[in-house]
Formats: sequence, structure tokens, C-alpha cells
Amino acid sequence: MFDIGLTHYLVVATLLFVMGVFVMVTKRNAIGILIGVEMVLNGASLNLIAFNRYTTGGLPRVDGQVGSLFVIVLAAAEAALAVAICMNFYKNLNTVDVDRGDELAG
Amino acid sequence: MSGYETALCLGVALPLAMFGVLAFFGARIGKPAAGWCAVAAVVGSLLLSTYVTLGWLGMSAEQKSAATSGAHAWEWVALSVHGVDVPILFKVKLDALTVMMYFMVTLVSTCIFVFSVGYMSGHSDEVDGQSKYHRFFAYLCLFEFSMLGLVISSSLFFLFVFWELVGLCSYLLIGFYFDKKYASNAAMKAFITNRVGDFGFLAGLMLVMFFLHTFDLDQAAETFKFQAIGGTGIFAASVNIFGWQVSGMTLATLMGVGLFCGAMGKSAQFPLQVWLPDAMAGPTPVSALIHAATMVAAGVYLVARIFRLLTPDAQFFIAVIGLITLTITALIAIVQTDIKKVLAYSTLSQLGYMIFGLGVGAWIGALFHLITHAFFKAMLFLGSGQVIEGCHHEQDIRKMGGLSKKMPVTCWTFFIGVLAIAGFGIPLAHVGIGGYFSKDEILAVAYERTYNWEARGFGDQVGQPAGEHALPAHAGMLGATVRLASDNPTGAEERETAIARHVPVLPKFMFWIPIIIAYITPFYMMRCWWLTFMGKPRDHHVYDHAHESPLMYGPLVVLAIGTVVFSYVMFRDNIAGAGVAATDASLVVAIDGGKKTADNMLGITHHTGHGLVDPHAALAGIVGFAWLVGMGIAVLIYRNGLAIAERIRRIWPLSWIYVALEQKLFFDHIYDTVLVGGTKWVLAQLSRAFDTYIVDGVPNLLAKVTVGLANFSGRIVDAGGVDGLIDGFADTAQAAGAVVRQPQTGRIRNYILFGTAGASLVVIAIVLVTYAGAR
Repeated sequence: MFDIGLTHYLVVATLLFVMGVFVMVTKRNAIGILIGVEMVLNGASLNLIAFNRYTTGGLPRVDGQVGSLFVIVLAAAEAALAVAICMNFYKNLNTVDVDRGDELAG
Repeated sequence: MSGYETALCLGVALPLAMFGVLAFFGARIGKPAAGWCAVAAVVGSLLLSTYVTLGWLGMSAEQKSAATSGAHAWEWVALSVHGVDVPILFKVKLDALTVMMYFMVTLVSTCIFVFSVGYMSGHSDEVDGQSKYHRFFAYLCLFEFSMLGLVISSSLFFLFVFWELVGLCSYLLIGFYFDKKYASNAAMKAFITNRVGDFGFLAGLMLVMFFLHTFDLDQAAETFKFQAIGGTGIFAASVNIFGWQVSGMTLATLMGVGLFCGAMGKSAQFPLQVWLPDAMAGPTPVSALIHAATMVAAGVYLVARIFRLLTPDAQFFIAVIGLITLTITALIAIVQTDIKKVLAYSTLSQLGYMIFGLGVGAWIGALFHLITHAFFKAMLFLGSGQVIEGCHHEQDIRKMGGLSKKMPVTCWTFFIGVLAIAGFGIPLAHVGIGGYFSKDEILAVAYERTYNWEARGFGDQVGQPAGEHALPAHAGMLGATVRLASDNPTGAEERETAIARHVPVLPKFMFWIPIIIAYITPFYMMRCWWLTFMGKPRDHHVYDHAHESPLMYGPLVVLAIGTVVFSYVMFRDNIAGAGVAATDASLVVAIDGGKKTADNMLGITHHTGHGLVDPHAALAGIVGFAWLVGMGIAVLIYRNGLAIAERIRRIWPLSWIYVALEQKLFFDHIYDTVLVGGTKWVLAQLSRAFDTYIVDGVPNLLAKVTVGLANFSGRIVDAGGVDGLIDGFADTAQAAGAVVRQPQTGRIRNYILFGTAGASLVVIAIVLVTYAGAR
């Protein structure tokens, strides 16, 4: 096979990121968007770890991992908040279709 | 200043001083006393004038001319016209005419003043509980002062000043009962009508000033003659009215006519005769004063004074005006029923005779008539005042009748007046009174001018080169004058004869119309007298109250004696004496009397040589007994009251004439319609135009400007500027909002798309910049 390098990680992370964004843009379901957000966060976390592994030159540094951990914690908090928003969204509009929530349209 | 001049001036000043006293202290002096004060003043003037007159009568001819030339002058103001000094001098004109006029005015006025005291005692003189008694006599004094001042002025300027004062006094006195509408109207009518005439006078005065450079009568006459001989000055000036060249008329003629216009107003000549009958609204003594001694005499006196400033054309104009006046007013007098109106129209007619006389050249005759007329007309008016006072203010002669028993003195003095105006006399016997002599002289001159003129070789000889007296044309006349003057510098007589040759023959009607009127005069005067005093009383209420008082008939007797006596003595001769100097060197003809002496201006005698008819003899046949015929017809018609007259006036053509005459030939109506109405119309149009275009126009214009400004401010500034600015902000904000809100779809997916797209774009930009920078 071929050596797995930084580029491969970056490609996977980019795919994850782009697919997350795509999901966010195309999904009308609030939960679906939440999933897209998780995919984007995961793509970013993957990038952080990959750069930590390949750009420190073998030094025992964990900057990427710490950042990744922060992202995971933030994602958990964000998921809790987002689900609460979804709940409220549903309460107000009887749906989770985000296109219906266009009251802020100018 | 000689004693006589001082006396004359003092006599003028006395009434003025009394006017001052009465004006300021009259109310305190009280009712009868104020009147007697005025009488005292005028008696003072009378005494002074008697002194002068007696002195004058005692002088020899040389003394008279010395007294005339030795006048002292008081310079009032010095004008300058075209670089020539024209001083306005006050000088006393001392000649026989002044002395005679002065004496006549003071004598007649004295009678009138005394009469006034009696008259006013029986008349109301109160307005709003305030007595105007003293005011009446103050005005009379002022009137006396003005008239005497006018008579002694040797300067045309001062003559004009006193002339205007006379006009003012007539206004004040005619409008004495100013609380009565008719009286104040009559006063205004008199004043305004006189203004019309005075306009002409003033124009003439300006021509005198600008062309003759003097106001002095004698100097003006000298200059006038000099300019006439040389064809310079005013004779060289052509008449140009608004660019229209008047041919055959010199400015000199226009000057004479202009000056005469003043006399037309004062002496109430056609067409300005309308004021005089209305002037009867004043108290009767005022009518006597105006109609006899002062106002109307002033006009005739003026024409006599400016006689030397007339050209033959102007003289002819004057004659025609006099003729028209004497005719129409005599006709109107026939139908008047108010005793004062009859006298007023007879005055107008006699004034017409005087003016006519001056116009045809009867200088002496006209002035003599003025004097005799002053006496008998004052008497007639005072008599009518006595009648009116006695009959409790009844003026209608139809309601009188039979008053001779109640007021015999008035009746018979009035009858003497009627005889005098009718020209009572026995032809060729030199017996008669008043108008018999004076009117005869006027008519004799008219006869001479009409029938004997050509036979004497006078008249207009245009185009006939007949020897040394040939006068081919108007300018030629002047040429001939020059030649005669240069050939014989002292040949004034020949020169005047030469000029007289040019003076035209009168048309026949100008002789015959006055003759016919001479028959009508006795008729209407007798009618008036008969209806008043004779026959049966027609109104017993009036008859029962009739009475007369000595204070009033005393003056009547004095005037009656004066009428008779002065027909013979003093006035005729002295006026003739004045005539030589006053008509000397004139361009116009003055033919009176006999030889070239005091009696004869031109050496033309009224004798019967050369197969000519003596005019006096001719007149004796033509009008000698006119008084008898006229009065006889009047008595025949009115012997039994008004019945016959009533029947006559119903006859067809006469009825129409009667209406026309009763309406005074519609002069008042015509003037009212044309002049008053016209003036009103023009004024209405002007006022309307002024109202519409100025009074209304200014606010309208302002309104329009304001509206325009408001529109500008509202539509342009406010709407465009103020609103536009704010709207603009709003619109811009709105437009900007519209643009900005487009991406604000409210869809979270879109926001995410924009967010990521934006982030991507930023990344791409960074990458590109980085790479570009790296390269």
C-alpha cells in the first residue's frame, strides 16, 4: 500500500468538514443540522490531531490533543444547548423544519 | 406822495382796519353798534374820497397830469424775466377814472352800509345760537377795502390781488347763510365760476409779464404799442396750441382775450353768467353791493383799464360776448317772478351793454353807464330789500301788488330806478335820467361803427392800396403805423386814425340787437315794478304786513337823488377827461364825443357832415321812445294782474319759449350735465382706474407676489429642499435597507451558506495574496 501521511488526514478532515457544511446547508431538519455541526467539529478535531502528529517533529507535545479535547467538550456543551434550542423551536412552531423559523427575515 | 394819494390810500385802509376791529372784537361790540362802526369806516372813506374828488374837480388840466405822473412807488418784490427786471410796484393810479370810480364806490357803499344796519335788524343773524351780525359787517368792510384797493392799483398785479380779494368776499357774503344749502351752493358756484375766468386772467397776466416785462398799466401799454409798431415781442410770437399753428391770430390778441376772461367771470358775461342770479342767496344788501358798486363793476373797470392792451380782434371778441350776454339775459328777465332775480338778470343785461360798449369802442359811454347803473341798480336792489323785508321775506312778485300805499317812498324811488334803467328821457332835448344818456352813447358808437364807418373811410381795407392810409393786412396795418410814426413822431392822432381805419365795420345785427333789447329792458322792469307796487293786492297776508322803515328808505332817497343828479354833472365829463390818457396809444378804436379833446379820441365827430347821419339823431328816431313803448306794453299786459300774461304765455310758440326762458335757456342744466357731470364722470373713471389699478392693484400685486413667494418657498424650498433632504435620507436608507435585506432570508441554511462561502472566499483571498506575495 502506500504510506499514510498528513495529506491523507487532511483530505479526510476536509471531506468531513465539507460534508458537515453541506449537511448544514441542505438539511431542513434541525437535528440534521446538528449532525452536520458535529461532522464539521470532528473534521476540525481531526486536523488538530493530524497537525500535532506530523508537524512537531517527534517532540512529545500534546497541543493538538488538548485542542481536540476542548472541541469535544465544547461539542458536548453545544449539543446540549442545540438540542434545547430544538426543543424550544419545536414548542414554538410545532416543527423542527428550520425553514419555517424565518421570523427574523428582513 | 401827494396829499391826494395819501387820502386815497387812507380811504382804502380805513375799511381794512375796521375789518380787523370787527373780526376780533365784533362780538363784544354788539349788535347795532358793530354795524354803525362799519358805517363809520365807510363814511370816513367817503369823506376822504369827497375831499379828493372836490380837489380833482378844482384842478386844471396841467395840475391833473402832474398829479397823475407824480406817483410814488413802493416796491414789493423784484422779479426777473429773461434777464429783464420786472419789479412789482404798488403805485396809486391817480386819474379821473380812479377818482370817479372811487367816489362812486364809496358813495353807493355808504348807502348800502346804512341800509344794511336797518336790514339786518330785522333778519336772523344766528347760526347755532351764535350771532354772525358783526361778521356780516366785517365782510362788508373787507369787500369795501378790496374794491377800493382794486380801483387805486396802477399795477395789473395788485389789481389781480384785489380782484381775488373781491372774489373771496363775494364768496363769504353770498354764503353768509351758510347753514342753508342753497346759499353755500350759490357761494361755491360764484367762486368756482370766477375761478374759470381768473384762469384766463392769470394766463393773460403771465403773457404781460413775459412779453411786456412790466405790470404797470401805463408802461405795459407803452411797450405794447412799441412792439406793435415794430412787430416784435408779443406780436412776433405765433400762437401754437399743441403743435397746431393758429393762423390769423397773434399772441397779442390772445393776451387781450385772456385778460378779458377775468372780466367775463367777475362781470358775469356769457358763458360765465350763471353764478350771478344764484348769488341772490346772499342778504339783499350784499346783492346790491355785488351788483352795483363792487364786484360786477370790477370786470368792466378791468376791461377799461386794459383797453390799451387789446388788439382789434380782441376788441371784437369782447363786443360779441357783450352782445350775447345782453341779449339772452334780457330775454330771461322777462319771465322771472322773483323780484331779486328780475333785478339780477337786468344787471346782467346792463353789464352786457357795458362790455359791448367797450368792445365797440364806446369807452366813455360804457364807463358812464357803469356809474349811472351803479346808482340806480343799488337803489333798485335796496328797494327790493325793503320790499322783501317789509313783506316778511316774500320775494315772489306774483304775491305782491298794491304795495305803493304801504311803502310809498320805496315805490317811487324804485320807479325812478325803473325809469333810469329804461332810459327815460326826451330825445334831442337833453332831458332824461340814467341810462338815457349812457346807453345812448354806447348805441351811438355802435351806430357810428355800423353805418358811418365806411363812409368815413374807415374799416377793413384789405388789399386796397388807397393812398397813405392804405392798410393792406394786419401786418400791413402795423407797417402803416410805423411809417406814420416815423414820418411824424408826434402824430399820435394820425397814427390812431390810421389804426382806426383798420378797425372793421360792425355787422348790422350788432347794432340792431342791442336796439331791440333796449325795447325789452323797459318792459321787464315795468312789469316788475307794476306787479310789485301797482294793481290790487294779490296776497292779503303779505299786503297786511307790508311796512317800511326810515333807516332803509333813507339811503334809497339819497341814491335816487344821486341817480338824477349824476346823470348830468361830474361823472360824464370827468370820465371823458380820463379817456384821453386811458385809451391813448391803443391799437383799438375808442370813439366818443366830439373833437380830439377830452371828448374825442380820434377826432371823429358825431356831426352830420359828409352826408352822414348824426347817430344821436338817428337813435332818437329808432329808440328815443323805447322806454315809453316798453313800459306801455308792460302796463297794458299787467294792468289787471297776471290774467292777460297767463293767456299770452299759453299761445303755442310762446309757451315753448316761456319754458326755455324760465329754465334760464338751460345753461344751468347744460353746465350741470356737461361740466359737472363730465367732471364727475372723468373723476369717476380716474377714481375707478386709481381704485382698480393702484389701491386694489397694489394689494393684489402684493398678494400675487406673496403667493408666488409662498409657492416658491413651499414647492421648491420646502418640498424640494427641506422635505427632499429628509425624504432623501429616508429613501436612501430605505433603498439601502432593501438591498441589505435581500440576503436576510431568515433561513439558517442560507446563513450558513453565506458564512462558509464568505469564509472560503477569505481563505482563497489569503492564499492568493500569500502566493502572489511569495512570487
